[in-house]
Amino acid sequence: MSAVMQDLKVPPQAGKAGGALKGAIRIEDVVKIYDPEGAAVMAVDHCSLDIPAGEICMIVGPSGCGKTTLLNAIAGFHSITSGKIYLDNELLCGPPEKPMAQPGADRIVVFQNGALFPWKSNIDNVAFGPMMQGKLSKKEIYEKARSIMADAGLSGTEHNFPGEVSSGLRRRVEIVRALMNEPKVLLFDEPYRALDSLTKSVMHEALLEIYYKNKVTIFFITHDLEEAIFLGHRLVIMTSRPCKPKKIIDVDIPHPRDYSVLTSTRYRQLMDETVELVHEEAKKAFSAGEKEG
Amino acid sequence: MNQNQTADLLKRSMPFQTVPGEMLEAIAKLARYESYARGDVIYHQGDFADDVFIVSSGAVQHTLGIGFQATHPEKIVRSGGVFGWAAVLDNQRTRMAKTVCMERTELIRINGEELINFFKATPETGDIVMSRFATMINKEYTMPEEVAGHVPHFTQVPVTVATGLSLTMFRLSQWLKSPKPYLMMTGFGILLATWYLAVEVWKLPRFADMPGLTTVMKEWFSKDPVYGLSIWTPEYYQHIWVSVRRILIAFFLATVLGVPLGLFLGWSKTFREYVFPVFETLRPIPILAWVPLAIIMFQGSETPVIFLTFLASFYATALNTMLGVETIDESYSRAAACLGASKWQVFREVIVPGAMPFMFTGLQISIGVAWFSLVAGEMVAGEYGLGYVINTSYTMVRYPTIVIGMITLGIVGYVSSALVRMAGDYMMQWRVRELALGGR
Ligand SMILES: Nc1ncnc2c1ncn2[C@@H]1O[C@H](COP(=O)(O)OP(=O)(O)OP(=O)(O)O)[C@@H](O)[C@H]1O
Ligand SMILES: [Mg+2]
Repeated sequence: MSAVMQDLKVPPQAGKAGGALKGAIRIEDVVKIYDPEGAAVMAVDHCSLDIPAGEICMIVGPSGCGKTTLLNAIAGFHSITSGKIYLDNELLCGPPEKPMAQPGADRIVVFQNGALFPWKSNIDNVAFGPMMQGKLSKKEIYEKARSIMADAGLSGTEHNFPGEVSSGLRRRVEIVRALMNEPKVLLFDEPYRALDSLTKSVMHEALLEIYYKNKVTIFFITHDLEEAIFLGHRLVIMTSRPCKPKKIIDVDIPHPRDYSVLTSTRYRQLMDETVELVHEEAKKAFSAGEKEG
Repeated sequence: MNQNQTADLLKRSMPFQTVPGEMLEAIAKLARYESYARGDVIYHQGDFADDVFIVSSGAVQHTLGIGFQATHPEKIVRSGGVFGWAAVLDNQRTRMAKTVCMERTELIRINGEELINFFKATPETGDIVMSRFATMINKEYTMPEEVAGHVPHFTQVPVTVATGLSLTMFRLSQWLKSPKPYLMMTGFGILLATWYLAVEVWKLPRFADMPGLTTVMKEWFSKDPVYGLSIWTPEYYQHIWVSVRRILIAFFLATVLGVPLGLFLGWSKTFREYVFPVFETLRPIPILAWVPLAIIMFQGSETPVIFLTFLASFYATALNTMLGVETIDESYSRAAACLGASKWQVFREVIVPGAMPFMFTGLQISIGVAWFSLVAGEMVAGEYGLGYVINTSYTMVRYPTIVIGMITLGIVGYVSSALVRMAGDYMMQWRVRELALGGR
């Protein structure tokens, strides 16, 4: 492992202690009701959550509980009904004055099915953010894009289209595209759901390596407990719909981590502790679904 | 497998295709035959690379290791395919991939050292074979050029990875060897034979008055056509040109107006609420129903025909472009917004290119219906043009000329839609390459 990674031990409280880190998210009493006049589906119910800067926060919950809804509210893709969301003490959204956050390059989403533009080459995708924001010259942007891609082991694929490279590489390009903008927060919506377990394990280590270099806050939705414990500083287990945190678990396995963690005793203890909790909620969600339809 | 069969197999493979016959037989002597069952692993990554393999029958899954920077690490090698090329690379003596048989597979293997020693006697041929190896490693196994460049070379001329041309030539020769071109020719053959037999040999009742194949061909290629129209008469080209000109004008207008309209219809909900109902009421009216109004509205014979042609094209283009915008995955616009794109930038960078595949489908349909309504218009209101030729030949009992007009329409129509498809492929390289990898 590289020297950079050795001296970087980001504790769960990194944000509170170190003032330099940016990207603390505060979710205060957020409620989201879809279609309030009609069907009135309550997706998020008085949810509060504090994520310190530089933390990898894993969100686990049954299908359809409202995880994506919460992520979309932070990203600024839709409004919330009540409550407030802050980024580094700045209000992102809080009705009635500001029902919806403005999407921006400080919070970048990595989508469930991937959203690299298939009509742009990999390097054009990576350069897209800065090109749109127009803060740097084209030459500077492409130099930076080339070097950041080289760092992530993507040299040689710059001029391929996303459709021409393997799905694992595509995901890596997408994360690099986000990092080009030096975001404070990365929002992942089950990015590895469609990958096979082998590619997944490679992606996990790659993600951690990128994280150790960039120390952004990571809000990561997943169904996969193994992934959640392996990557996260903390695990937030959500209730079935409407969602709010049911239990928050500190994963006290020190970073940097690699795949040997999966065979450690502590990992297995944590797994045992959480499996039951998650299963309980999944059952509730399932029987609620039975009743509805 | 005997020596001849081995030489034939070598001849079918990309690297050895251009090697002369006697040499192939000599190389075939180096080859050993082997067969594997489904699920057998031929070699693992990291194994010592001794032999090059050529598949005779069956299928082998070839997976390059992570870290070799292949843009597409997975490949299935079938009959005529070559793998195990690490055995001829200069600086590489370990396997870079894992290979597993997906079905019962027969293949031949040739020791890399022996092959290289063999070519030392014939350096020119050796260089050709090795540069074809390099091209294959780079283009078919998607390995970086640096890796592919490590094939040995035997003369002073440095080996280079060939450009797309030699690969295209190889594909073309493969195509000619495949059944496709012959199936296509058979299709045409059956059509022409049926026509010939039905009219001129069997003289089937309904076909009795139809012009026969030989009559039409004689007339079409005659320097002195009985009814005044053949490939040697200037009028023939004048008719074609008049029709093509009308199509060009109408298609151009339909594209220039239809594409933006479709884009805005798909993009803006408000705009759509105003315009779409009107659009949807006018669209089902058949083009022929517009003929009288077109003649009343526009003077002369040219504008009404162009108007009718335009109208049909315009609907197809606008509607498909709109559908194209609607099918764009929302996460693309959201991703663009995240990355700081303004509303206008999202339109330019996401909506326009994202709608392009559907848009070109629309243009493809549009050029087809343009010819359709052009002929309808020319029959009713035209002077000159292929539709006019067909119609007047009917009233003046010049039956062979009718068929000449029809065949010409078929050819010109096919060329025009091929041009639209090529324009689409040119503008959507990303899609062409994506589909090519999917084997479509
Ligand atoms: N636009 C919408 N209008 C009405 N209801 C919606 C809308 N979007 C989502 N919902 C409902 O809100 C609930 C939460 O949806 P959400 O997508 O946030 O769940 P999720 O936890 O991300 O699920 P999954 O794990 O399956 O991705 C679901 O029951 C869904 O049907
Ligand atoms: Mg979701």
